Amino acid sequence: MRAPLRWIRADLRARKGQALAVILVIAGVVTALLLSATLLEGATNPWRSLFAQTRGAQIWMRLAPRTDARAVARISGVTAVAGPYATTAATLVQGPLRSQVELRAMQPAMPAVGRLLIRRGSWLRRSAPGGVVLEASFAQAVHAALGARVVLEGLDGSSVRVRVIGIADTSDQGFYPDQTPGLVWALRGVLHQVEPIGGHTDEVVGLRLANPAATGLAVQQLVTRQGSGEVLSVSTWTEVEQSMARGDPLLGLLLALFGLGALGTAVLAIASATGGRVLVQLQDLATLKTLGFTPAQVMAMVLAEHAALGLAGCSAGLLAARELTIPLLRGLPAGVLPAVTPPPAGWLVLIACGTELAVVLATAVPGWRAGRVQPMIAVKRLPPSGHLSRLARAALLSRFPPAVVLGARAAFVRRLPAALTVGGLAVSMAMIMIGLGFAATVDDVQRHPADIGLAAALTAGPGELNAARARKIIAADPQVAAVYPSVKVNALLPGETTTITTLGMGAPGRPYPFHVAQGRLYHAPGEAVASEGLLEVLHLRIGEFVRMPIEGVPVIFHIVGRIIEPEYDGQVLAYSLDTLSQAGVATPPVFYSLVLRPGVGAGPARSRLLAVSGNRLDVAQAADPADQIGIVRVMISCLIVVLSLIGLTSLFTASAVGLRDQLRDVAVLRAMGLTPLQVMTSLVTSTSLLALIAAAGGAVAGLALSSRLINLGAQAYGVGGGIGRAPSAEAITVAVAAAVVAAALAAILPARRAALLPVAAMLGP
Amino acid sequence: MRLPLLALLAKEPAHGYELKTLLEQTFGQAYPSPNIGQIYVTLQRVERDGLVRSQDVVQATRPNKRVYELTPAGRDAVAAWVEEPSEGPRIRDDFFMKLALSPLTGAADRMALINRQRRHYLGLMRGLSRLAGAAGRGNRISALLIEGAMLHLQADLDWLERCQEELV
Amino acid sequence: MTGQARPIAGGQAGTALLRTIGLTKVFRGDGVSVRAVRGVDLSVSKGEFVAVMGPSGSGKSTLLHMIGGLEPATSGEIWLDGQRVDGLSQARWAVLRRHHIGFVFQVFNLVSNMTVADNVELSALLGGATRRQARARREELLGELGLAGKANAAPARLSGGEQQRVALARALANHPGLLIADEPTGNLDGSNTADVLRLLGRVHEQGQSVLLVTHDARAASMADRVLNLFDGMVADDAPVRAPARSSMAASGVLRLRG
Repeated sequence: MRAPLRWIRADLRARKGQALAVILVIAGVVTALLLSATLLEGATNPWRSLFAQTRGAQIWMRLAPRTDARAVARISGVTAVAGPYATTAATLVQGPLRSQVELRAMQPAMPAVGRLLIRRGSWLRRSAPGGVVLEASFAQAVHAALGARVVLEGLDGSSVRVRVIGIADTSDQGFYPDQTPGLVWALRGVLHQVEPIGGHTDEVVGLRLANPAATGLAVQQLVTRQGSGEVLSVSTWTEVEQSMARGDPLLGLLLALFGLGALGTAVLAIASATGGRVLVQLQDLATLKTLGFTPAQVMAMVLAEHAALGLAGCSAGLLAARELTIPLLRGLPAGVLPAVTPPPAGWLVLIACGTELAVVLATAVPGWRAGRVQPMIAVKRLPPSGHLSRLARAALLSRFPPAVVLGARAAFVRRLPAALTVGGLAVSMAMIMIGLGFAATVDDVQRHPADIGLAAALTAGPGELNAARARKIIAADPQVAAVYPSVKVNALLPGETTTITTLGMGAPGRPYPFHVAQGRLYHAPGEAVASEGLLEVLHLRIGEFVRMPIEGVPVIFHIVGRIIEPEYDGQVLAYSLDTLSQAGVATPPVFYSLVLRPGVGAGPARSRLLAVSGNRLDVAQAADPADQIGIVRVMISCLIVVLSLIGLTSLFTASAVGLRDQLRDVAVLRAMGLTPLQVMTSLVTSTSLLALIAAAGGAVAGLALSSRLINLGAQAYGVGGGIGRAPSAEAITVAVAAAVVAAALAAILPARRAALLPVAAMLGP
Repeated sequence: MRLPLLALLAKEPAHGYELKTLLEQTFGQAYPSPNIGQIYVTLQRVERDGLVRSQDVVQATRPNKRVYELTPAGRDAVAAWVEEPSEGPRIRDDFFMKLALSPLTGAADRMALINRQRRHYLGLMRGLSRLAGAAGRGNRISALLIEGAMLHLQADLDWLERCQEELV
Repeated sequence: MTGQARPIAGGQAGTALLRTIGLTKVFRGDGVSVRAVRGVDLSVSKGEFVAVMGPSGSGKSTLLHMIGGLEPATSGEIWLDGQRVDGLSQARWAVLRRHHIGFVFQVFNLVSNMTVADNVELSALLGGATRRQARARREELLGELGLAGKANAAPARLSGGEQQRVALARALANHPGLLIADEPTGNLDGSNTADVLRLLGRVHEQGQSVLLVTHDARAASMADRVLNLFDGMVADDAPVRAPARSSMAASGVLRLRG
């Protein structure tokens, strides 16, 4: 209706600053949530970024042998074609191990679409005609190392000796073995050797679409065009994506909690701001009621005004997220996020609508109160005045600056709003503390990776060299502090049908320096340490014995300690290398875990080792979960900014409401002879005191929770408790001091105005 | 002086000294104490006008006293006095007399008295307003005079309200 | 327009625009009950100007608030334009007030964060006028009241008298059946009071029904009828009649002063 609109317009015009602040807060929350969603997507679904990096094909088709696939390129909507690549089934033989693979012929030149990301070694090259590249998850599963000599057997028994020259990531399939047979790429010559008969060779084509969402339609067209007899199978990117979504529980939970916490705090702030505004406007609302606004109209008006602000904030947030995502995330350390893709539209809608709903809910109670205002408040309602408590009287008598005492007393006159302000600020501060705690933990992990079980920055395999030579080169490197020979073998969990990874690391008497949270490291053969997750699953305690079949041979382990080991999903068992040989287990090839000297970067060390060995040593950087956690740091910074904004809004509200209440007192005090400076001090003190109490309380609560939350999360993730760190004393002091200073600053301008207003104006009716 | 004395006699007959005592009791310090001689002179005059009649009462141990009582004409005079709104230069004094003495006359309800007076004042005010409108802005003296009268009327009405609060 | 009163069958209402029967208000609080208004019967006919006087605490303002629906009555009947309105909900009263009642108070008549023009137009918009109609009505009213130049001023910048004139404009925006004014000149000095009263008189001449509560004798003397309220009850209810003398001589005026 026109009348409420008129009022809304006038109200917004009258308080442009405050309206803008509310919009900024909402925009901040929306931006933070969207950034979190983007990072969450990137963190939990690395396939997406891989797809972007490799310019993956949205559709992969398998066509019958000798099919002409050129017609495919001419279908509308197809922007690029990968292949066609000849593909045949084969068997990879690794000693006793036989695995089914799909052998694909490709060129040495990397294609434009459906590229492959080389992880180790190199791509196919003409100088190595018998070289093959293995897909990464397959290679890991079958423990195929770089430089390994394996045999490819064709269907009719022809076998070809090949050598692994590279390990690559591909985006066109899911993980082995759940989704696909192992992928092996080789030059065409190798394929012909393995499968000379053309009739057993299929063609695989990858298609990149202009509109990725239209895969269904495109697939239909393709099958129709090509003829169903010729299309053997089709797989689309959505199927692959779904199968690849890992969903990192800890990260997801963290982000969701933080985002929701920020949203909740924002709701509190907006509610208190609106409530404060209604309080200040009581007289005007009463006049509106006298004119003929119904209670429902007034409530709807307040809600509509804030819904509009919410809409503006959400739109601004969406825009800001879109603009800020790339530059902000560019600052991330390399390797954290290879590519950034925008979150799906569903998230955008959810976040925007959720925030808008939260804003409306936040204004519901103040709006309802506004609707209930009595028309024509006949008497100017004096704000409640507390009497001078004994404490205040004593303070005044003891020559405390009267301004400070009066200000302190005035802060608590209105109980409920004071409680709300303190509560809102305290929650903001608590969350900021938790955020700082996380940041401190991340810092600690990055500085002391050994504490989280990442002592070895590099792992090295002999690659194309023989073991002795490899060992000599590694040992000779001045920057390598220690070398631990290691193997990785699977073991069957007793009573379970799943296998876990076990690590035989370290020579007798020189165990790998795991981070022991409880107990001690293994020294003698047969002793072992386990991660928390494993101990839980097996219901084991330190000191107990367990028997596990390793490669078919049952071995008895004596658990002597609990370690923190972030990889392997929290289920890992580690022991000294000679345990296996003593038990008579056939050990797979040994690789070396290298601990570098402190301060040495993993990247440069790796480069040097590669250079010294003529690129024949297989050196890889250990996966660094700290990198992943580094994402959290970016988000925490964003969220701290948002939380500060929210806290500021609460402060502004508190100072506005407080000022209105104290106006009469201020007039009386000035008439009595308090100077304007004293008046300002009084007003600023009241707000600052509230802020101090809130910040201190929030800091204490946040600190208590911070370590506990981190350890809880680490435990749930299987890393094991004990990595949580509290923020430094300086950080805490700075945060609390900043809050109090911000409160003082927020109160200064209105205080100055009140201190200089003509006294008569404030005393009048 | 006449009508107050008549009003006092309306309740019951009395002699001169009793009337003096009654007046003093009613008005106390705020009113100058009436001269007994004045009272006797006024009594004689109203007797001559036929509003009261007197009678000698024989007392055993004291000299005879003359008791006065109202005649029907006197009663009518009192009634007329009460009914008419007070006017003239001593408007306040006249009205206040009536108000103060009304329990004794028994004839007028105090509230009705006040109401009558108020209506009168309001009517006067209206007349003044019309006068002010008719005079126009040109004649400043006249306007000031009228405004003065209005202010006095406002004061009178406020005082009337106070009387209402206190005496009703 | 919405909210038109439905005249009831039968002659209960008569020609009275407003009629209260036994209107009573009892305030209860802290175990003490205060009877502010005790069984007041009053009526205002179309085009009549009724003033209510009385000492402080006599219940004048409470009576007015009840008649305007700002305060719920404890008992009694209120008939407005032939419709019984006591006991209506706040929302229904609000709708009623848009078209039937215009309020002017002693203070705080105007919405502080809206301009003068917006204040007046708000009333009109609420009554269902279009933006153009509201604007036209505002210009007409402000012009009549001599405030045309102040249309875009904030209320805080106007003098008391100007604010009251704007309040009057706002109250009249929807051509209300009854204009209710509660001590409109209470906070004003002499000349401003004269201005506002003159406007009231003019509005009354144009046919507006007015119910006024006042201490000011001059304001009350403008009325057709004056009610005197004492201790919550009607003590007097009489028309105002100027003295029979067609003109008052200077001597008469002087005598008044004496």
